[in-house]
Amino acid sequence: MAYFIQRLLSMAVTLFLISIITFTVTNILPGDVAMMIMGTQSNPAALANLRESLGLNDPLIYQYGRWIFGMLTGDWGNSLLFKQPIGPILLQKMTASALIVLLSMTIALTLAIPLGVWSAVYKNRWQDTAGSSVSILGVSLPDFFWGIMLILLFARALGWFPSSGFVHPNEDFLLALKHAFLPSLALGLGLMAHLTRMTRATMTGILSQEFIRVARAKGLAEKTVIWQYGLANAIGPVMTVAGLQMGYLFGSIIVMESLFNYTGMGWLTYQALLNRDMPLIQATVFIIAAVVMLVNLLVDLLYPIFDPRIELK
Amino acid sequence: MKSKIIHNAISALGATVILGLLSPAWAASCPVKGGTLIWGHSETTQNLYTHQTGTISTMRILQNIHDGLVTTDKNLNIIPELAESYVVSKDGMSYTFKLRDGVKFHDGSDMTSADVKYSFEKVMDPDTGAVNKPVFNSVGSIETPDNLTVIIKMDKINAPFLGRLAALGAGAIIPEGSAETQGTMPVGAGPFKFVRREIGNEVELERFDDYWNGPACIERLIAREVTEPTVRLTGLRTGEMHLINDIPADRIDEIKADKNLEVLSWSHGVFDFVNLNYKFEPFQDQRVRLAVDYIIDKEVLLQGALWGQGKTAASPGFSSSASYNKDLTQRPQDIAKAKALLKEAGYGPGDLKVVFKATTNYPYHVEAAQILVEWFREAGVELTIEQLTWADWLGQVWVDKDFQMSMMNFNSIWEEDFLYYSLYNSTGGFNYRGINDPVIDELTEKARVTIDDAARADIYKEVQQRVFDKVHDIVVWHRNSSFGAQKSVGGLDTLVNADGATYHFHKVWLKE
Amino acid sequence: MNILRKFLNFKGIIGITLVLCVILIAVLAPLIIPPEFATRMDMRARLSPPNMAHWMGTDQLGRDLFYRVMLGARTSINIATSAVLMSLVIGLPLGLISGYFGGRTDNVLMRLVDTLLSFPALLLALTISAVLGPNLQNTIIAIGIAFTPYLARLIRGEALRVAQMPYVEAARSSGATNSRLIIGHVLPNIMPVVIVQSTISLAFAILAEAGLSFLGLGTQPPEASWGLMIQASRDYLDRAPWTALVPGTAVALTVLGLNMFGDVLRDVLDPRSQS
Repeated sequence: MAYFIQRLLSMAVTLFLISIITFTVTNILPGDVAMMIMGTQSNPAALANLRESLGLNDPLIYQYGRWIFGMLTGDWGNSLLFKQPIGPILLQKMTASALIVLLSMTIALTLAIPLGVWSAVYKNRWQDTAGSSVSILGVSLPDFFWGIMLILLFARALGWFPSSGFVHPNEDFLLALKHAFLPSLALGLGLMAHLTRMTRATMTGILSQEFIRVARAKGLAEKTVIWQYGLANAIGPVMTVAGLQMGYLFGSIIVMESLFNYTGMGWLTYQALLNRDMPLIQATVFIIAAVVMLVNLLVDLLYPIFDPRIELK
Repeated sequence: MKSKIIHNAISALGATVILGLLSPAWAASCPVKGGTLIWGHSETTQNLYTHQTGTISTMRILQNIHDGLVTTDKNLNIIPELAESYVVSKDGMSYTFKLRDGVKFHDGSDMTSADVKYSFEKVMDPDTGAVNKPVFNSVGSIETPDNLTVIIKMDKINAPFLGRLAALGAGAIIPEGSAETQGTMPVGAGPFKFVRREIGNEVELERFDDYWNGPACIERLIAREVTEPTVRLTGLRTGEMHLINDIPADRIDEIKADKNLEVLSWSHGVFDFVNLNYKFEPFQDQRVRLAVDYIIDKEVLLQGALWGQGKTAASPGFSSSASYNKDLTQRPQDIAKAKALLKEAGYGPGDLKVVFKATTNYPYHVEAAQILVEWFREAGVELTIEQLTWADWLGQVWVDKDFQMSMMNFNSIWEEDFLYYSLYNSTGGFNYRGINDPVIDELTEKARVTIDDAARADIYKEVQQRVFDKVHDIVVWHRNSSFGAQKSVGGLDTLVNADGATYHFHKVWLKE
Repeated sequence: MNILRKFLNFKGIIGITLVLCVILIAVLAPLIIPPEFATRMDMRARLSPPNMAHWMGTDQLGRDLFYRVMLGARTSINIATSAVLMSLVIGLPLGLISGYFGGRTDNVLMRLVDTLLSFPALLLALTISAVLGPNLQNTIIAIGIAFTPYLARLIRGEALRVAQMPYVEAARSSGATNSRLIIGHVLPNIMPVVIVQSTISLAFAILAEAGLSFLGLGTQPPEASWGLMIQASRDYLDRAPWTALVPGTAVALTVLGLNMFGDVLRDVLDPRSQS
């Protein structure tokens, strides 16, 4: 319990730091809110007026306070680009991104775990070399390049999947999956490499341990030994690495969602950056950093569930 | 994603009563009623409040939701829309509009003079931040003697006023008190009701059965926002979409060859020009500006950047308008002459270094810049490119005027005062090049108080000549706009508005 | 001999060959090929498929993809190397100090690093590039800064481990100064890990440059860089796939080589990783 509280406290401190960094960075971005509101109607006098009325001339500390207070009370401000409250937009785009983040993680794990186990079992033989070559190939291409290749193959040539767009899962779940599949696959292939390596390394360690030898000596089938005893113990570290990859994943969706016209958080962040929609940049950047942090915390807290020592008692 | 600078206005100014007559296209009834039309829209819609939005992408949708007091016919003549008729006083100081009786808004309420007053006062209110606020600059008061009469009194004569009002951004009428909610739920008196928008995905509109000019043919319009051109094309080919706008320039011929598809393209509406900043010392010398003009082969540039989808032109004017100066022809490429001019101005080979700021918002500007680099090198000028996002371009080039050379395009500015005054008068709002030419200042001021149409047109022809002679800008071409459609879409001839940039789906229908 | 054998397995040979090839191209191509070959246009041969005149075909402006990909190697390698060097220059002292001294300094520094780690590297690089304005130098800074927290974290962990080793403790109790200990003992001991990580970071930096250029916030045209070439190919994918395949393959081979080389380096330099 004490551990739990300590983690929560440290989380609050990190969130605070995240908010400070986000606020600072958006405030040193060139161009400001007033200019983006006025666009081609901008002229120095009108800009000065608008800045005053938007409170942009207030001390930064005061502006920061206003921003934080707004977020805590559920007022995330309005997007300059879309002239709509940011909260609901974020909610909708988070759903879209959650779908591809989960799907790509699933794809990566389903490929990486068998491949990693296989490589570990046949360590240093040709199967291992083949396995690690495949996984290295996944990470050797920029993920947007995978994206382009997948579009060419599955959308253009074969016509199996749509090449762009987003459908809300509530509307048509199957169609939503179809739209999410190609970007998720492209992301999953990049992710797979790290996870395969991690699985291989962990499994190699576990397979050389005493209890595996005992299990084999008892005459258990090799399959059972590897998949039930071995893998069960490797899951924990693999999940931790998977959690750490969240940061990478949230970076990659910026490129991938733009490529596939899949309108989730990545797309929104990119649009906000392109259009200097400051309130939206602040919100998206803060949310992404907070989610990455929370996922890692969650993995940490869930670790005991995967922990082999608890399983093996 | 792409924001285009738009402004629509009109020049005609009548001193007589003009009655609202329906144009022939509008009078035609629908061969087939019903159906859902899926349109692959090339851009992301932004702020939906019509008075505030400044982008053509959003206007394309809003044109179907709102009607204005006046509008234009295909030939850019002003015609009444929500007004039944109007009278302009002889001295040009007051405008009296008689409103159509029985016009309903989407919320069921009746349109009255109070709504008109409310709408215009919202545009005039600085807090609204209306793009079209300058349209009303010389308006003194708006009076509503009865429910169906609006009188606008001017403080001083403003010949282009009625024309500028014909633009929906300025003249759109919204129900009284609805300004606060227009951004999320636009309500107007147009042929389509707004249903919903998923940001970045799609906008859904539904037929408004009580539309004053008869209900639209299609039941529903879904505008999918697909910004990747090749993806849009795939959508049209597979039949996922009925209609797409902005076919990639290099693909038009291919689509034309497809028997199942139809292509429409037109070259009025958008012009592109190369800008030279007067703040950059070398460009203050007319010989250097002239040299730059001689360096550019406009025809090859058009081929290279736009795959030939456009027409080279020496004037920024709207080619279908009466004031368009048809006598201007572009200077041909002549690198030797350019070198000589540069030498005369004191710049030997390698002496002049220029930075070209191009916005990634228009990828073809970046392509054009890359082609220019090669020609400039031949002429002994070192040109470097800096790519800017739209926001950065606006900030650096438009507002701070911190640039040496750039390129821009303007969309559907066919009202001459707006075009020439804003761009070339030394006090013009769009004069980001710092042009200060007393001759142009005098001409553009004179046009504002010249009520005779023909005389005004002549003044503007002189302005075009002057801009060309002095090389204030280098206009390169008028770009083609296009859309492709399935053969099952009818009434395509009514789709594109006179401004060449926005669409009207009222009389578009679907064959079943 | 043993070390040599470790290098000369399947992975090692391929990795080293690829890395050497890319370095050779990056160094030699600009000396052999005139730089204007990368930007020379031919409007009559736009998007032409690979043929005798253009081995790898041409792009949308009729520029030869073979020359562009060869000359682009230097740009891409240059950016990647500089960026990784930059993150080393900042991250190494930070990680060393944090890991070696521990305590409050460590707490504060690592809290900051952990916070930065919550921001996806690409997002960080994108934002920095947007702040500074896109050009070659700022691309390097953006990637360099974005990578720093990862390196700092890793180095800190290693420094902490080494600082607690008995012989370092012994040296400390015999009165060696901190700076001597750091430079004389800690640094040499963590170098293998740093070298391995830097090699792998190079691979990531190449990918990051491609990603930034792809979004228009990296290298500027008409300069040839691999990321920029892929970006330009985007609109012509279905008509002219070679415009994407040529630079894509270049990136893939380079990153593949660096990763394999990194793996082998790890086996050689960092015995613990071999379990």
